[in-house]
Amino acid sequence: MGKYQLGEFEEIVLLTVGVLYGEAYGVSIKLSIEERLNRSVSVGALQSALKRLEEKGYLLSKEGESTSARGGRPKLYFTLTAAGRDAIEYARKIRNQLYDEIPKVALDLKFAL
Amino acid sequence: MKEVRYEPPQWMLRFFKWFCRPELHKYLEGDLLELFDLNIEQKGLRKARWKFTLEVIKLFRKDIIKPVDGTQKLNNYGMVKNHLKVSVRSMLRKKTFTLLNVLGLGIGIASCLMILIFVQNELSYDTYNSKYDQTYRVLQRFGGEIATSPEDQLPVSEYQVWGNAPVAGAMMDFFPEVEHVFRFTSDFDWLVEYNGNRFQEKGICFADSTLYQVFEWDWIAGDPKTALTRPGTIILSAAMAEKYFGNENPIGEQMTMDGDEKYEVTAVYEIPPNSHFDYPAFMSMTSFINMRPQIFENWGYVDFYTYFTLRENTSIASMETRIPEFLKQRYDEISWYHLRFEALADAYLNSDAKRQPGPVGNSSNIYLFISVAIFILVIACINFMNLSTARSMERAKEVAIRKTIGSRKSALVVQFLMEATLMTSIAASLALVLVIVGFPYLELLVGKSLTVSGLLQPVNYVLFVVGVLILGLLTGSYPAFVISNFKAVTVLKGSFKSSKNGVWLRKGLVVLQFSLSVILLVGTTVVANQLNYLRSYDKGYDSEQVLVIDYGWDNKVQRNLKVIKSALAEHPSVQAISASRATPGDFFPGAGTSIASKNGEMLGFSPALYEIDEDFIPTYQMEMVAGRNFDRRFPADSATSLIVNEAAAKLYGYEDPKEIVGKKFSQWGREGQVIGVVKNFNYLSLHQEVEPMTLRYSTKWTTSMLSMRLNSQDFQETLAELEGIWNGLAPHYPFVSRFNDQNFNRQYETDARFGNVFSIFSGLAIFVACLGLFGLTIFSTAQRAKEIGVRKVLGASVQKIVALLSYDFIKLYLLSLVMAIPASYWVMDQWLDGFAYRISMGWGVFVVAALVTFFVSMITMSLKTIGAALANPTKSLRDE
Repeated sequence: MGKYQLGEFEEIVLLTVGVLYGEAYGVSIKLSIEERLNRSVSVGALQSALKRLEEKGYLLSKEGESTSARGGRPKLYFTLTAAGRDAIEYARKIRNQLYDEIPKVALDLKFAL
Repeated sequence: MKEVRYEPPQWMLRFFKWFCRPELHKYLEGDLLELFDLNIEQKGLRKARWKFTLEVIKLFRKDIIKPVDGTQKLNNYGMVKNHLKVSVRSMLRKKTFTLLNVLGLGIGIASCLMILIFVQNELSYDTYNSKYDQTYRVLQRFGGEIATSPEDQLPVSEYQVWGNAPVAGAMMDFFPEVEHVFRFTSDFDWLVEYNGNRFQEKGICFADSTLYQVFEWDWIAGDPKTALTRPGTIILSAAMAEKYFGNENPIGEQMTMDGDEKYEVTAVYEIPPNSHFDYPAFMSMTSFINMRPQIFENWGYVDFYTYFTLRENTSIASMETRIPEFLKQRYDEISWYHLRFEALADAYLNSDAKRQPGPVGNSSNIYLFISVAIFILVIACINFMNLSTARSMERAKEVAIRKTIGSRKSALVVQFLMEATLMTSIAASLALVLVIVGFPYLELLVGKSLTVSGLLQPVNYVLFVVGVLILGLLTGSYPAFVISNFKAVTVLKGSFKSSKNGVWLRKGLVVLQFSLSVILLVGTTVVANQLNYLRSYDKGYDSEQVLVIDYGWDNKVQRNLKVIKSALAEHPSVQAISASRATPGDFFPGAGTSIASKNGEMLGFSPALYEIDEDFIPTYQMEMVAGRNFDRRFPADSATSLIVNEAAAKLYGYEDPKEIVGKKFSQWGREGQVIGVVKNFNYLSLHQEVEPMTLRYSTKWTTSMLSMRLNSQDFQETLAELEGIWNGLAPHYPFVSRFNDQNFNRQYETDARFGNVFSIFSGLAIFVACLGLFGLTIFSTAQRAKEIGVRKVLGASVQKIVALLSYDFIKLYLLSLVMAIPASYWVMDQWLDGFAYRISMGWGVFVVAALVTFFVSMITMSLKTIGAALANPTKSLRDE
């Protein structure tokens, strides 16, 4: 993946943060992924991914407001950084490129099987 | 709307808080709580709580747990890491020092563990029996007054384990406490044959069918409950079964005993190695009863070992008080008969009763071993402390710098303790490897297989680890407190000298180390001397070059004995030949014997009995002190004459052996006169005094051995020729021969093994001490390198410098001798008291031990001192 190190789950998390623009924090990201991808996500796995992404510089975290819900605990909001956006775009470009280069026959064959 | 707040599991929250990175905690806890609320709405409380717990557990992962170093990098975790790093670095930097320490401690710990294994094994004898504490055996004594109370009883050493047959049944009747009784006979040699394979087997006994009730052996085949009930049955040890049957099933097969009797194999057993006796086979007692029923009524015929177990909640003490009552019941018949009980727990290590059914251990040897183990460990620890303290000079700068930049004293203590513990841990690992590698050799050395299952328990693993840690703290404590006390200012100013106290302690420890080495050497020498003494002791007869052919009472051989004897006597190497029932060092019966005392009253005892022919005494070159030997010219000798030894003469009240000659005797149905007294000869081991013995003329059917005094250059050839003659005359019986002195020396195998084990571990201890001395020399010469340089420049000779360097050690060494000699004298004197015939410790032993330690330590030191003395002084003086 060249200069952009991005795992599959990390990519999904990164994309979701982008989708949830401004509303991305632990629970909302988790629920959003679970809904869209129909797979369960543990808080632990998600937090690990978020932390790694932040360390790589793709995400920026910011403490949000405290509410009486959540036992008075503040939310930690995530936003994409420029590097994060580049990483997403890079990943997408590579995938498109690869998809385009698949000979039509191969795809047809796959259906035939 | 009523607001109901449900709470997630609080302890999970606390757990989360404990492990979570503090900077993440509040956000994540918020997320978790929010999800919890969401889940309550969607899935209900129970599921939500469950999910919550699951999520917390899943959060227990690398990026979320707080790092062990601590997030603030200001607590002790980091320090510990640093200590460890410094420890490893300092160990690697000083390779000689580390090697000496690890090697010394490793050998020390390994020796300790090995001795522990051995000692534990000695202590574990017979403990495999579940009724171990409730099992006893009957000790018997013949002759003398009856004791009226347990306190008046004679010591165990006056009794024998071996006794008569009827006592078992009588005890069953009289003592309700007795649950099971088991008897077996003393062992005989039998010619065993199966399918053409014929061997003479030593040590086959008759045993009661109740065997399985008292002893819990492993039964490999057959039913132990019924194995020995019928006459004509035999049970085999696994080894014996394999010898005759290989892989076939022996159950139901017939073995031929002594050429004509058939015995059916009914079971195969295996006696655990930590048993106080071990026999290859047992035949059913009922077979013996059928053969000689009268024995089982006779209180004077001794051929049986009797063991019994008590019912639950009964005690031996109350039985013991009723012994006189029990004996009184039979008083008329057996006025000379006594008994007492001995616990199975004492049978192996603490019994000095006569006629043991197997080899016995020695509790004073156990104490010696434990002392050696402690000595080795102490020596190794002293090494460690001394080397560390000596090296403290080198570490002084490190300490000073650490202190200057703000280290607390406690941190330094921890640092050095840690280093010590790390070192002991490495040494302990080395020790474990050594034990695993050395275990087969240990077994070889002690001559038996050792059971370690008792040691391999979790509690012992924990003890081992704790022990190693304690050892580390202990050995590390002195250097730790000394080194941490250094004043940074003095060290850095360069006017630093190690403390006076430290030097004294170090010297004290060296003295202790020398003392322990000397004690061990004295011990080794005394043990070796005593064993040599036993081997070369004048036993009262000459057993060298006496070849014994054992034909195990074979009828055909006995019938042709005259012919065989004269045919063998014709061989040019045979100087003398004699037939007898037993030879010195063998098993032999005791016989109820009455001899007239001075006032004419018949006194009854049960001395040993040898049945011999007229050639026996000359063949073994024994001496007559009074009267005469059996003589062919007196035909009546075979029926009415008896020879006794000096001890027997004394037993029957004759201080002067001449007086007993001509007195009346009655023994096993024979009556007549005592015709002679033979000089005491040691037919038992030299652990015991010579016991009273009678010798009578053997009849045709009571011989089992031929003894021949050989005079030969080539024993191999003579042996082959004799075998040829034998096979010509008695082709049905294998030629089983041995030299009598081998037979006699077999009794000292245990002693010899003990001597070997003792000397090897002593040697190891001294080696470890030398390692330490070597290390100390390295440091002291290094410290004095400049002094040596200056002296050399000013013209001192190499010898002078070596002498100078050794001078300190010599002083310490002399001091240690003052301590070691009385201590070792006392210890070894105690040990020697276990022998009836013992050496006295002369000065020689101490001189030898002192010289050996002296030279060994001088050599050790000179490895380094000479080097230091020869070194070019420019090197050591260059940077001054």
